[in-house]
Amino acid sequence: VDLIHPHSVEAAASALVEASRLGTRVLVVGGRTQMDRGNPTEVDAELWTTLLDRVVRYEPDEMIVVVEAGLRLRDLRATLAEHGQEWPCDAEEDATVGGAIATGADPVRQLRVGLLRDTVLEVEAVTGDGRRTRSGARTVKNVTGYDLHRLVTGSLGTLACIAQVALRVRPLPRAARTLVTRDGGLDLGRRVLETVPLPAAVLAEPDGVTVRLEGWPDEVREQEDALRRVAAADPVDGAFPGRVFPDATTLVEAAVVPSALPALLEERGAFSASIGVGLAWIPVSGPEDLAEVRGRAERLGGIAPVVRGDGGLGDVPVPALGVHLRMKAAFDPAGILAPGRGWIP
Amino acid sequence: MPDLAAARVDLEGALGPDGVLADPLGLALYARDASMVEGSAGLVAFPTDADQVSACLRIAAGHGLDVVPRGSGTGLAGAAVPVGDALVVVTTKMRRILEVRPEDRLAWVEPGLFNLDLSTELRPSGFTYAPDPSSQQVSSIGGNVNTNAGGPHCLALGVTSAHVRAVDLALPDGTIERLGAEGPAAPGYDLRGVVVGSEGTVGIVTAVCVRLTPIPPDVRTLLLDFATVADCAETVSSVIRRGVVPAALEMMDQGIVRAVERFAHAGYPTDAAAVLLVEVDGLSAGVEDQVAEIEAAAHEHGVGTIRTARDETERQLLWKGRKSAFGAIAQIAPNYHLHDCVVPRTKLAETLAGIYAIAKRHDLIVTNVFHAGDGNLHPLFSFDRRVPGTLERVLAAADDVVRLSLDAGGALSGEHGIGLEKRDFMALAFSEVDLEAQACVRAAFDPDGRMNPRKVLPDGARCGEFAAAAMARDGDLPEGTWI
Repeated sequence: VDLIHPHSVEAAASALVEASRLGTRVLVVGGRTQMDRGNPTEVDAELWTTLLDRVVRYEPDEMIVVVEAGLRLRDLRATLAEHGQEWPCDAEEDATVGGAIATGADPVRQLRVGLLRDTVLEVEAVTGDGRRTRSGARTVKNVTGYDLHRLVTGSLGTLACIAQVALRVRPLPRAARTLVTRDGGLDLGRRVLETVPLPAAVLAEPDGVTVRLEGWPDEVREQEDALRRVAAADPVDGAFPGRVFPDATTLVEAAVVPSALPALLEERGAFSASIGVGLAWIPVSGPEDLAEVRGRAERLGGIAPVVRGDGGLGDVPVPALGVHLRMKAAFDPAGILAPGRGWIP
Repeated sequence: MPDLAAARVDLEGALGPDGVLADPLGLALYARDASMVEGSAGLVAFPTDADQVSACLRIAAGHGLDVVPRGSGTGLAGAAVPVGDALVVVTTKMRRILEVRPEDRLAWVEPGLFNLDLSTELRPSGFTYAPDPSSQQVSSIGGNVNTNAGGPHCLALGVTSAHVRAVDLALPDGTIERLGAEGPAAPGYDLRGVVVGSEGTVGIVTAVCVRLTPIPPDVRTLLLDFATVADCAETVSSVIRRGVVPAALEMMDQGIVRAVERFAHAGYPTDAAAVLLVEVDGLSAGVEDQVAEIEAAAHEHGVGTIRTARDETERQLLWKGRKSAFGAIAQIAPNYHLHDCVVPRTKLAETLAGIYAIAKRHDLIVTNVFHAGDGNLHPLFSFDRRVPGTLERVLAAADDVVRLSLDAGGALSGEHGIGLEKRDFMALAFSEVDLEAQACVRAAFDPDGRMNPRKVLPDGARCGEFAAAAMARDGDLPEGTWI
């Protein structure tokens, strides 16, 4: 495939004008960490955003940072940490800001820090036919106009190329601790969630429950005491979250309501389930196993896209298909952006 | 021209005679909301369930009627004000809580439910619905969704959009689609995110799946007073700089404190230039840490007294002062015009100075009570519209406030919305390309442009593909739409 590697948003826009004119199919690529997400797509060119990596504006007192989309999370984290702040996104160090947004990478710590989509305050995006358009504002609160930035979040690069964003950041927790219980299972996970006040994450696996605590130092101590009343637990060193099932070739990220996790995971040998959230990471052994997991998730009203390996999103109908198709036609009229990668046909 | 008489017959067939209003008084009542804008309604319908909402939309489509969705009518930007002969669809008869599922941290409710009734109903479960607009006693969840409403307690937890998991949306053709999901992810684009804050322009919300938030184990509420407005405003930034994001951080200036105190008797200091009402929550230990940081920040800026609520009764009293502000200001003058704009937090002090200067220039009384932590200002101009020339001065001041906040790097609206009142300012905040893209988002839901037309976007903003149809429909705004 051809490579488009623009030094400026303007250049990215020109490239997309040209691509739309010629019908060149384009995949927008950030840090290449989530390439398996979405359905397989065949393209003629890749547009790499990684040279668009400026910190455009950062005012710590506003808790807002404006950055170009190709900035790596490693670099953003370093910039923010100097002022005791973070963008609550748990994606990998090599991931780019734009990639994390386009894949809708909600933080594993979402019980405490909320959802990724609510941190995206303003987006400048380049449509499939090269129009530069902005929505939102650089303020923490804003209800001005239609939220195009909501649409590109999680759109898998099928609507527009995210070029620049304003992000709501937050103070780094003064204290953080990760503990793992010596027993595991969903029931224990649920008891932990019921007993430990305001945890950041409770991840239940068959042989242990990982609990992430963040907050003020005294607060974290109080949470830890509460945890120990439910189960024996040992502290874990290292970054949180670690890579889930690093050896699995095919990994599913199922999403169901929390009360459906037991039915989803019954008799599964390996899983990591986010208690109180309803996400579950499940290694699968092949197409039949994938179909089985997917069938269960869908019967429970959820979805089960593959996030590593082959398998794509699954065959779940989208609601309001007509609205989806008109949206796609308006923002990518030539249909050149990642054809078929998203949820719509 | 749509045949209103024929549409009325069809609506009465679907909703029963009690479900439709067509008399002059009824139509006049529903020709306005809580803004200063007045329009005119063709018909008013009161569906009692989602099927009846669908029926209203199908009948409107059949007769070529525009549709204006409406909740409690407490909106402040004119988004629920009908223009021309629109059918106003009022959701106040749909106010059931359909289900509460604490384990899944969600509840399904009908759009007409009052915001406060939901919180009250949830309390025994240990959960709450976080957004608490000042109108929460009477504003509806459906209206809150359509304006993406905020409120004092949205500083740490975010505005309505962060608390809506899914909506059932009746599209303009009457079909109902579930957008978003009960669980943590949904297939497709985040159309839910577009519906929230769409001001009734993409369809009618027939049910809302709200996110339940655990009620924190401990809470502390403080009232801090300052000798100058600038010190008070700068304390806000200092608190944030120290890494504290309070649950609420509200500011009131002397004018509003005096009005409130005569009304609520909350013991607010009437001699202070401004006060901050701060609430922090979390685990008890963490709450103490946050209070210490806030006190330190306040002392940097010469705080007078710091009053801490000793118990829930005193806490409620302090909040009564804040929440009764808009009732209390009726003492100042018979009318008020309430603004809503956002500026960067670090620009609060200078923006407030600018607002006082605007009031002086136009010879108006202004008071301020607002969400300081979000930089979300609510200057409130009190006036008597019977005095000739006053209204003109109020509107001129409004214009100045908008420009002041945009010049400070702010936004047109923080939580009230654009509606009719601010749509012509949109071109100050966005380029033509931006507005065209927004028009396309809207047209994807409503290609015929019949849902709450003329709202949010200025008349010139068109989505290329759908422009011809829209231009054929719209003439100038009818005479007398304004005030």
